[in-house]
Amino acid sequence: MSEGLKELEGILNVTLPENLIEEVIKVEEGHFDVHSSATNAYNLMKTLREDAGIYHLTTISGIEKEGEFQVCYHIQHRIEEEFREVPINFIVTKIDKKNPKTPSMVDFFVAADYYEREVYDFFGIYFENHPFLQRLILPEKWPDDVRPLRKEYTWEQLKEITMKIAKED
Amino acid sequence: MTETYRSRFRTLVDGSDAPPEADHHIFIGPQHPWAEEPAHFIIHLKGERVVEADIRIGFNLRGIEKAMEARTWRQNTMLVPRACGICSAVHQNVYVRVVDRLAGIEDQISERARLIRMFSLEAERVHSHILWYGILAHDAGFDTMLHISWRDREMIMDIVEDFSGNRVNPALMLPGGVKRDITPEKIKRARPLLKELTKKVEYHKKVFTEEASIRNRLEDVGILTKEDAKKTTPNGPTGRGSGLPFDMRKSFPYELYDKIDWNLVCYNEGDILATTLVRIDETLESLQMCNQILDRLDSTQGELLVRVKPRIPEGSYMARGEAPRGEDIHYGIANGTDKPERYKIRAPSLGNIDATLKRMDGEYIADMPVILRSYDPCFSCTNRVMIINEKTGEKMILHQDEFAKRAIKAKRYNRPFF
Repeated sequence: MSEGLKELEGILNVTLPENLIEEVIKVEEGHFDVHSSATNAYNLMKTLREDAGIYHLTTISGIEKEGEFQVCYHIQHRIEEEFREVPINFIVTKIDKKNPKTPSMVDFFVAADYYEREVYDFFGIYFENHPFLQRLILPEKWPDDVRPLRKEYTWEQLKEITMKIAKED
Repeated sequence: MTETYRSRFRTLVDGSDAPPEADHHIFIGPQHPWAEEPAHFIIHLKGERVVEADIRIGFNLRGIEKAMEARTWRQNTMLVPRACGICSAVHQNVYVRVVDRLAGIEDQISERARLIRMFSLEAERVHSHILWYGILAHDAGFDTMLHISWRDREMIMDIVEDFSGNRVNPALMLPGGVKRDITPEKIKRARPLLKELTKKVEYHKKVFTEEASIRNRLEDVGILTKEDAKKTTPNGPTGRGSGLPFDMRKSFPYELYDKIDWNLVCYNEGDILATTLVRIDETLESLQMCNQILDRLDSTQGELLVRVKPRIPEGSYMARGEAPRGEDIHYGIANGTDKPERYKIRAPSLGNIDATLKRMDGEYIADMPVILRSYDPCFSCTNRVMIINEKTGEKMILHQDEFAKRAIKAKRYNRPFF
């Protein structure tokens, strides 16, 4: 068991299932990175939400790596008596690039609803079991296959598409 | 859980998902005299009461995250404050802390540089909060208060302008420290203004708590209980008005916030008056923090800027800061080159919308402007600049490219800008 995992378990006061975790990195005092693969992420988040009582989701970022997509859930463990917060970056790894799919966390966080739609909008990552996975920010006329924050699209290409949409009106 | 507390942001374009008991539907925005920011609110009514409110966003996507991937870390220092028109310093502060950490120079930054950064942040909180409760009074139909508070706000604007050369975008910070020093003469000029402003803000608080015409508009309106707040995850003053005592400066201290003396402001009532008082009390706290920082600046010496190499080593870091509106979070990933691999910004307003829409359920339509204003919607800026020659009074409006060309020429040949 790694040092980081032991310390995180001490703070959260729960035992985390070790087989679901890829690794836990301690970034600094009271700040952790938790890595978990797309298949195990849902069950691990369930433990964090229901046993450890983490209720605050700050945001979700999509990340494009060389051979995979990642989705990072920035969650905070709040200790109200001590006015203290423990930020945790919950990183879902190993999302296939050709068929990007990851479980949705709407069951645990209401806020995950629109943040996941934002990631779907910009990266085209499909969140399984999301009740309303539709466009949130991009305009209605935006082409469905263009996912602007992916590396394959440059700034100039996106500008061209935007100008084309603007001229159509 | 998602049945009772379903997130908003879900209106269909054809309106087929309106609640069946609603008999009227009111649309606010994207362009509306009430709103400075382009957002589209849909309010479903039964008689005079709100059944449900919804929102559509995305009318002003500027693509800052994508633009940052095409620029160097150094260039991004000046792009990042443009994410927000009013809370520009906090975006820059969170950004430079990400870069400091990734470059591994976090421990080398001097106390003086950190104090100057903190002064910039606190001064920004003061002017942002005063601006906000002025507009709130305007929305509640109490225009006198708008004029009084905005008149007094000029004092802190003068201080910010004196210290940084700019009114709302101080841009004092750089990775590794700060750009400018705050000299003893400037501190001397600022002290009486801060003292005067503290008195004025105390008077503003008296108006909001004692004047019946404004108090009745805010009290017991749009109540957000602590239970609802936990589910809809608001941050900043919206959460602190509902009894969630979390302020990033206390709960995860950065810069030197754990070294100076200040109190966390938190109210449990959850109505609009509570959010207002959180902000006014915070303004007073920030003003006394400004005074403390100036005291410490007198006795602290140190290097202002540490050199940062243009290439940032591989790694990722998430930094958070307490913006006037709430929790500002930046997540940066470096890949060893001089440009970021990915940079994510989440400004506080997005996290507060859900809680604000929850506040509206069952309220009167007449209270909508006040409730909508309660989370302090934030608006975007323009891309041109007006330059006024101080001596001659000559004015010119320049676009970005032209401005950059002139600035480079002036710097290279060492001649005046005009």
